[in-house]
Parts: sequence; C-alpha cells; structure tokens
Amino acid sequence: MTAAGGTISILVGAVLLRLTLTDTHLRYVRPELGPFLLVAGLAVVALGFATLVRALRETPTDVHGHGDLEHHHEHGIGVGWLLLAPIAALLLVAPPTLGAYGVGRTANIEIRAGHGVFKPLDPNAGPVSMTLLEYGQRSFERNGASFRGAPVELTGFVAEAEAGGFQLARYQIACCAADASPIVVKVVGTAGDRPVVDGWVRVTGNFRRPEGDVPRVSATSVAEIPAPRDPYE
Amino acid sequence: MSGTELMNGGRGAAGARRRIRADLGLAAVLVVVLAAAALRPALEDLLDRPAVAHWATIFVSITIAAMPFLVLGVTISAAIAAFVPAGLLPRVLPDRPAAAVPVAAVAGAALPGCECGSVPIARRLISRGAPAAAALTFLLSAPAINPIVMVSTAVAFPDQPEVVAARFLASLLAAIAVGLVWARFGKEALLGRARRTHGDEGRPLSVLVSTAQHDLLHAGGFLVVGAATAATLQTVVPRSVLDTLSGSPALSVLALAGLAVLMAICSEADAFVAASMTQFSMTSRLAFMVVGPMVDVKLIALQAGTFGRRFAIRFAPLTFVAAVVSAALVGWVLL
Repeated sequence: MTAAGGTISILVGAVLLRLTLTDTHLRYVRPELGPFLLVAGLAVVALGFATLVRALRETPTDVHGHGDLEHHHEHGIGVGWLLLAPIAALLLVAPPTLGAYGVGRTANIEIRAGHGVFKPLDPNAGPVSMTLLEYGQRSFERNGASFRGAPVELTGFVAEAEAGGFQLARYQIACCAADASPIVVKVVGTAGDRPVVDGWVRVTGNFRRPEGDVPRVSATSVAEIPAPRDPYE
Repeated sequence: MSGTELMNGGRGAAGARRRIRADLGLAAVLVVVLAAAALRPALEDLLDRPAVAHWATIFVSITIAAMPFLVLGVTISAAIAAFVPAGLLPRVLPDRPAAAVPVAAVAGAALPGCECGSVPIARRLISRGAPAAAALTFLLSAPAINPIVMVSTAVAFPDQPEVVAARFLASLLAAIAVGLVWARFGKEALLGRARRTHGDEGRPLSVLVSTAQHDLLHAGGFLVVGAATAATLQTVVPRSVLDTLSGSPALSVLALAGLAVLMAICSEADAFVAASMTQFSMTSRLAFMVVGPMVDVKLIALQAGTFGRRFAIRFAPLTFVAAVVSAALVGWVLL
C-alpha cells in the first residue's frame, strides 16, 4: 500500500476526530454515536501512520529480499480515492442540518400511534418545554386532555410560512440524517412579519385542536433563536 | 539508500520506480485537497441551494454513520487475515453446506454491527477457505439478527414482541435460503476475486496493517458510491409516490421492500423508520426490515466492489426475492 493510501486514511481519521470534537457530527448522526466516531477516528489515523511509516521504509526492506511487500504494491488505491469526496466536503464546507426542503419529501411520522396515556400537566407551573413529537402525541391522546390549559414551549425550524401562521418542524433521527422523519406542528395566531423559512424559533403557546392529522398550537410568543446544539429530536 | 539500490542493480531500479509511483500518489492526494480548497467559494454557493444541501447532508450522514461499523468490520477482517492460520476454517467448519449454512446463519448473531462491516469479513472468510455458501449466509444474517438490531427493534415496537420474533425468523430463513441456493447453484468462478489470498503472507503485524489499510480504502470507496446513490434517490424521488402504493397489500410489501433498497438505512436504525410508517401493513414493514440489512444500493456497491460485478448482479436479486418471500410468509403466519 502506498504513502497516498496512508495519507487518505490519516485524512479520513482526522475528519472524524474534528467533526466529533467540534460537535459538527450532531448535524449528521445521533449524539450517542460520538464516542464511536472518536474511537474510529483514532484507529484510522493510527492505521494511516503505520502505513505511511511502512511505505517510507519499504525500499530497504525490499532490497533485503522480503518479497511479501511486493504484493502490496499491486493493490492500487483504486476506488479508495472516492473517500476524498466526503473529506473535501467536510474539511471545507460542512453541509448544513436537514431543513425545510426535506419536510414535504420524507414520510411524516404518524404521531397518533405510539404513546399511552400522558400524565396531566400543571397549568400553574409556567410554560412546559417538550419535543414536537410529545406535543403531537399529547394533542391526539384523549383530544389533548393532558394539557389542562398549561402553556407549552416548542423549539423547531420554520418549514413553511403562510398567512396567519407557519409550520414549525423538527426531524426525528434514529441513527443518521438518512433516516430522518419530520414532525410538523402548525403554529396559528401569529401577528407581525412572517418568520424566515429554515430559521429556528421558540414558540410559546397553548393547545389548539388538531386540524386533520396536523397538531396545532396557538402562539402567544414566537422568538427567533440560534440553531440548537443538537438540531434533531 | 540510493547506494544500496545501486549495488542491487535491477531490483533497486524497480524499487525506485515504485518509490516514484508512491510519490506521485501522494502528490495526487495533495492536488485533490488543494483543488477542493480553491473551489471552496463555488462549493458554498452550491450548498445555498436547498436540494444540493439536502443531498450533501444525507450523503455525508450515511458515510459518517457507517464509519465506526466499517472500522470494526475491517479490524475483524484484518485480524482474521493476520491471526487465523490458513486451512483452519475449512477444517473446523462442517463440509456439507446443509450443515455449514445454518451454523453460519446463527453465528451471525454474534457480530454486533451493521451491514457495511460484514462485507469485508465475509470476503476474508472466503479467502481463508471457508465454504462460500457459509460465508455468504453469514454476510446476510450478521447485520440482520445481531443483538443490537434485535434490541432496537424491540424499542421501536414496544409491547409487540411478535415483531421482533418475526424479524429474527424471517431474516434467518432468508439468509439460510440464499446460502443453500448458493451451495447448490453458485459458481465458484464468480468469487474468484475473493479467493485470492494476495498479501496474506508475512509477519502478523505487517499483514494486519496492510490488510486493514487495503480493506478500509476499498470498502470505504464503495461506501461513498452507495451513499451518493442513496442520497440522490432520497433527494429526487418524493415519498408521496409510495403513499399511493400503500393501499394494496401485495403492492405495499413490494413498495416497502423497494424502499429499503433505495434508502440504504443502517440496519440498527431501520426499525424506527418502519415503526413510523403506520399507513403500511405490518407484513410490508417486516419486509422493509428484512430486506434492508441484506440488499440496498450501498451494499450492492460494496459487494460489486468486493466480489465483482458479475457476482453482485446475481446475488442481489436472489437475496431480494428470498427476503421478500420469507418476510411475506413469516408475516402471514405471525403478524
């Protein structure tokens, strides 16, 4: 194997380490994969250095007649060159988190399914922060009886702005962004400017009866916020 | 160094030629990286388009998420090459495929990984002399029935243990069926590339490094091809096409089996996706979970690269049919 192969490995490993140490990996995979990415990155960097060292030492060994190294030269890097594509993409411009584009294209989660009976919320405890999934499930469970009038706080990005409201969305991912399914909550009763599509917002509001399959929230305030550390639920 | 080369005449010249080739390769890596850096503004402009950004995110996600599993698979494969003596596997494994195939299928339960890792391992088992039918059965069963996959299925389908049991049974059946069909009709010539034991000789540590390096670049390259394909399909094909198919029971099984091939989701995550597709019948979602770990665009690319294209165009359809039939039968009985 050539010095080039070793160098590609070092680059692959370095990209994995950099992604994980800068939290950029959260755009692409579940947070639980982080430690595994670190271990894989270290292993690949070590492998790359070992290959590089062997490649630099190879001529003298070869001269002394250890023929086995000769075989390894027969393997080119071949398709391994393609690994440079994601490396280049990630080192230079890390692709963004999934946004509004995918909301209409991927299967929406059927939120009616899933959860059992929810514990009722305390109406006097201030806004309750919850995931869009939980909000949707509570909305369909006993017609939203578990809210008992308590205000809620929802965080997501704007998938589509329409008159008098917008669609708030956030993706659920199970392993990586390839399996993402969006959850959409319709925000109604907003005044003022339409929010920017793909911008992140925190919505405080109250339960409103769902419209067909789509849960709704009646907003009392909408605040623009920076994207959260982990953009997925 | 150059003195030694001179004294050794012809050999030294060959060594120098190789050295030049190695240096050219290194220069090429640097050129690619520098070119990409120069093109950075153009790349940023591209990512401003939502469709391109969506594609890039999915492409990078599949590649990144597969890396730990690929590294695990490559490590095990290299360890087999370095430390399992040639001739051991054929001695310990049963000779008759009827015995070896089920053993290999059940052994798959011991490898906690997803499908990307099992391809280099199966190749290594074959090059170490394991019967091809047994190695291929292991290739199919390991990502489908390992403990992590079973647990994630149980989590995705709470209070429905019959789904976990159905997935286990249907995957095991499909893997064994493919193994037995291969044992009966498979041609050894199709696996010629995997039988070669190139570079397996030498000191164990040196074999470990060179095998791991070779397998990583090779499998990694095909993983990139597969991830790009899956990202393209996910960006281009709207999911609403599938919703129109969910009405008919037979069509919905085929639709979700096809979707599993196109989406190329990691086998440890597909249960959650299957759980969310409630508009489809339980049996069709079972087909999604049985087909996914065995046939998908990323795996086809990996297998074509590892075993050869002629192998992949026979093996992938065979596996697809076995997985769909097995899921339909088990789903009909159990679900």
